[in-house]
Order: sequence, then C-alpha cells, then structure tokens
Amino acid sequence: MSLLDELKELVVKGDMVNAVEKTQKALDEGLVPGKLIDEALIAAMDVVGEKYKSGELFVPEMLIAAKTMQACMEKLEPLVAADELKSAGKVVIGTVKDDLHDIGKNLVAMMLRGAGFEVVDLGVDVAAEEFVAKVKELKPNILGMSALLTTTVPQMELVIKALDDAGLRSQVQVIVGGAAVTPEFAKNIGADGYAPDATGAVNWAKNCMTGSK
Amino acid sequence: MVISGGLHGGQYQPLSQEQISQIHKATLEVLSNTGVEISNKTAQELLANAGARVEKERNRVYLPAELVEKSIGSAPSEVLLAGREEKNDLLLRGKRVYLGTGGTALNVLDLNNTRRPSTLEDCRNTAKLVDALDNIHFFVLPVYPNELPKEEVDVNRFYSAMQNTTKHIMGGVYTIEGIRKVIKIAEKIAGGPDKLRERPFISMITCIMSPLKFDDTYTELMLEVARQGIPLATPPCPMAGATGPVTLAGTLVQQNAEALAGIVLTQQVNPGTPVLYSAVPTTVDIRTMDFLFGSVEMGLLNAAISQVAQFYNLPIYSTSGVTDSKIPDVQAGYEKATTALLCALAGSNYVHDCAGLIERGMTVSFAQYVIDNEINGMVMRAVRGIDVNTESLAVDVINKVGPAGNYIAEQHTLKYMRSEFFLPQVSDRQTYHRWKEQGEKDGWHRANEIAEKILANHKPTPIPAEIERQLAEEIPELRL
Repeated sequence: MSLLDELKELVVKGDMVNAVEKTQKALDEGLVPGKLIDEALIAAMDVVGEKYKSGELFVPEMLIAAKTMQACMEKLEPLVAADELKSAGKVVIGTVKDDLHDIGKNLVAMMLRGAGFEVVDLGVDVAAEEFVAKVKELKPNILGMSALLTTTVPQMELVIKALDDAGLRSQVQVIVGGAAVTPEFAKNIGADGYAPDATGAVNWAKNCMTGSK
Repeated sequence: MVISGGLHGGQYQPLSQEQISQIHKATLEVLSNTGVEISNKTAQELLANAGARVEKERNRVYLPAELVEKSIGSAPSEVLLAGREEKNDLLLRGKRVYLGTGGTALNVLDLNNTRRPSTLEDCRNTAKLVDALDNIHFFVLPVYPNELPKEEVDVNRFYSAMQNTTKHIMGGVYTIEGIRKVIKIAEKIAGGPDKLRERPFISMITCIMSPLKFDDTYTELMLEVARQGIPLATPPCPMAGATGPVTLAGTLVQQNAEALAGIVLTQQVNPGTPVLYSAVPTTVDIRTMDFLFGSVEMGLLNAAISQVAQFYNLPIYSTSGVTDSKIPDVQAGYEKATTALLCALAGSNYVHDCAGLIERGMTVSFAQYVIDNEINGMVMRAVRGIDVNTESLAVDVINKVGPAGNYIAEQHTLKYMRSEFFLPQVSDRQTYHRWKEQGEKDGWHRANEIAEKILANHKPTPIPAEIERQLAEEIPELRL
C-alpha cells in the first residue's frame, strides 16, 4: 500500500494519532502537501461519506474521521502558500438569534471542513446584523443558517431580508436547515437550498460550487 | 446489532412464590381427584404400572402426587435443541429466552398481499426467510402443504425445512410412519442415530386436548416420539372461558395439570426423555366465544405459566407474539409486541408462535416474519436489560465533556454505540421529508421489500449432495 493510501485509510478509521504521524512521514519522504490533501485527506472523506450513506459508518465515526482530517490539515496548511490552497469554497455558518442549539450546526461545519471547505463558524444566537457584517467582510460563497425551534425559525427570513437590504443577497448562496425547517419553508423565505442532514448539506454545497445544484 | 438468543429473562414476575405454590397444590388435587381421560391402552397400562389409578370403563386415569413429583424429577431440567449448524444451538434451561415461529397455518399472505392456501413451496420459503432473520431463533414448521396427500406431509414438511435452514426445526406430526421416516432422515444428516440424540436438530409436537383429555391418535404419536428419545413438546391449549375456567388462575391450574400429565406419561415411556413442559394457554372473546391469539391475558398466562415451569425446574415451551388481526397492521403490531414482551421478560425458554403468524394462527405472512424479527429484536433488547459497571456509568467521559458539550465524537461513544442500541431495519426513523421522498411507504411495504430480497438472495447452507442423493433413493415420496 502506498503512503497516500495508508494515510487515507487512517483518516477513514479516525485514527488521529497515527494519521498525524503518517502525514509527517509523508512530508519527510518528500510528498507534496497539496497532493496529500487532495489524494489522501479529501479522498478519505469522500469514502467516509459513501460509507455513511450505505449505513456502514455512523455519525460519531464520521465526525471522528473529520476531526482526524482536520488534525492532518493543521500540519499541512502552513506549508502551502495561501493561493495554492485549493479551498472547495468558503462557508459562513451559524445558529440564528435566540436559538442556542448547535450540535447539528457543528456537525455540518465539521463535515464541510472534511470535504475541503473553509468554514467560519459564528456560533449560536447570531443576530441578522452579524450575519450581514460577516458576509460583507468575508465574502463567502455560501451562508448556512440553522434553527431548531419553531419560534426562532422566522429569524432566517429576517437575515435574508437584511442581506437584500444591504445589497449582498446576490453575492451569496443561502442554505438553511434544522429540525423545524422544511423544504417549503426554505423556498418561501427565499433561501437557495435546504438539507435535512449534514451529508445532505455537504452534497448541496459541493453541487453549489460546481454550479450543478 | 445482533442480540443472540438465550439471554436471561425473569425481570417480570406476575406471580408471587406463594401464588405459585397455591397453583401447584391445586394442580395436584385436580390430577389425583379429577384425573385425565386417556383411551390409549398402552398409555393406561404404563401409568397403572407406575402407580396411577385407572378406571378402564370410562378411560379415566388418576395421577397421585408422588407419581407426578417423581416424573418431574426424572424429566431433564436442561434440554439441548441443536441447530444443524452449532451456532444455532438452543440450550433450554432456567430463565434463558429464545423466540421462534409456530404453526400450523393453512394459508399464506404472500408477497403480493394475496391470501391463498399454503403449499410445500411455502414450507421452503418460510424456512429460508427465518434462516436469514437473526431474531427468530428456531423454526417450528409453520404451514401445511395443502396439495400433498396426508402420508407425504410429515417427511416433506420436515425435509423442506432442513434444506432451507440450519436453525432448530420442530414440527407437529401426523402419522407414525411419518415420524419414523423423519427421524431416519435426521439420523442420516446427523451422521447416525446416536449423533442425532446427542445433537437433536429436530423435535416434535404432539398435542393434549383441553380440558384434560389425551386423544387416541395424538397419544400414539406421543408415545412413539418419546420411545425414540427425540425432544418433544406436548402442548394443551386451554382457552379461558371456554375449554378452561374463566379465571386466569383456574386456567393456569388446568394448564399445569395438562402439562404435567404429558410429562408423567412420556417419562413412563422412556425415563429421562427430553420433554418440554408445554403450554399454550389462551383465551376466548367472552362476548362471542371466538378463539383468541392476541389478548393481553394470553401474555399474562404465558408469563405466569413460565414461572410455574421454573418452579419445577423444567424447560418450557410457551406461546406469545401472535395476533388475531387478519393482516400485518397496527393491531398485529401491538398484540404481538405486548404478549411477546410479557412472556420473554418472564424468562420463558422456548416462546413459539412468535413470528409470522396472523389471523389467530390460521395464516402466515412473509412480511410479518420480517416485522416480527424486528419486534423480537426489541424484546430481546429489553430482556438484556441495562449493563451497570464502572465504564458504563461513564463518570470519566461526563467529566471530560462537561456542561454544554456533547458526546458524539467521544471514544466512549464509539466503543459502545454498536452494542448499546437495537438498530431496527423496518422502522422508519427519518424526517417527514425523507420519508415522503422515498415514496411514503408504511411498515408493511418496507418489510415486504426486505422479505422479497431475502427470498431472492439468501443461500442457506445446503444438505450435502451425497446425503440428499441417498435420501431420494430411500424415501421416494421426498419431493426435492
């Protein structure tokens, strides 16, 4: 098995200690960081996504694989010039105002990072003004909003309206999710996308970047 | 996760020890004062020789307490019902729980949801289905091949099952010749008569009639199986309110008398022969006198009678997980789950009728086997209970995660997540939208699809070709 395949397997297994060690070994042997990222780390997360879809892997395993991937990335990122680092896309994500639920949102952020996206997580209880300010400042490709409660779901519409008012709506694709959100609701408030779970969100984001959503 | 059979139940005990003792005393009184009706002369003679008082003119046999107690002592307190493959062995004793199918139904609700008379092909397919379903631990021959002449039924019912499952096979029998041929086939497959007795992968059922009557034909069959030393169940089926007293306690007394009478007789034929304490106590709908197979009282009765068998230290053949519903619907679900849970949690050893049967046992449904496999999995999970130890108490990981964190990506979660939860195959746990996207299927459709896949793809471990060739030669009525 090649070093790349070994690293890929360790990430799929979520073996963080050995994966980080293997990353260092690959670097010592002269492998190019960009190649390691594309052909081992991101490739591993593709496998993880497939295995999750088929029911072989569970969410905890997927999450640990994503964390392992992150740990390896931290070793590689400083070695890659900023313009060389091929990000799958930039995402700003957060749970809306008055809502403190973050497990689902964290899972989505983690999975997006695993798929090679650059993710800026604004946390929970994020007000519309803050979403708008961050979109203006960071110019993300995608804005993701989460809400669990029926009482906080209307916040999403306020954010989209605020983006509109600030003249930023056309610059960013908006995806919404969370237990209280339905595809119809997403459509009605003028969001571009909806996903029922983390893998759905990653797929949507990937399609969004290739323009095939 | 596969939860294996044989876990220990006993958490649910509807009777106190004092009540069990009262039932025991009342039973001894019935057996010695009322006795049982047995017209079979061989049986009468065996029992008379053992100390029973026999009134020949009215075929009444009175069983004294000493004889009953001696017979309980000579019956084995542990019975191995082997599988053709060892991984499917059942060791019945104490409060170990196994759940399996029952019979004998005359109809099948097939994959097209059509109700029609059952055939030999259905005998094959039900066996194949059960072979692939992990939470159905044994196979009681569930259907009657309507197209076969009576003298070909026994061999073909048993052999079709042997071809399609390596789980333990038990079945009702219809002729003496049939019994002998089935045993001959099983001996050949086991590698000889001794090998079969050592690891009996077949066993038989011969009924007692409630109230308190040994039918002549069935008794002949019973004596033959006992003589041959093949494991045997001798179930009576008292229906509280019709063929048993209306009170549950009264039906328990009569059921106990009938079960013990079966043990007394078989132990005189062949002391030590592996006979199960056998129970099919049920009820009627008192409004109409309709026989019932899904009442909550049936669950209670079977749980209670399991306690009585445990009191005697005898392995029990009991009944639960059936329904009066005509289709695999909501009623089927709640009746099956309720009775199966009660009986299994009481630590009943060999809970039969606990998969596939609908319509008071008159029909089997392929989809229902898949649904019941799921119910049984949940029941066995409940039987397993909650593991409490230093690691499962999780103080370290609680401390590590702390307030406002989560446990999703913790090693502790990873270590236990596959063993702590029962993961259903039929239940839909998705969001409304996912469910809608996938065609708004109900439980029956999802189960039916699984059944269809198993029947198309499952390959049971075959009987060696050379043995099959010899059997075909020796038993020409065998339909291969």
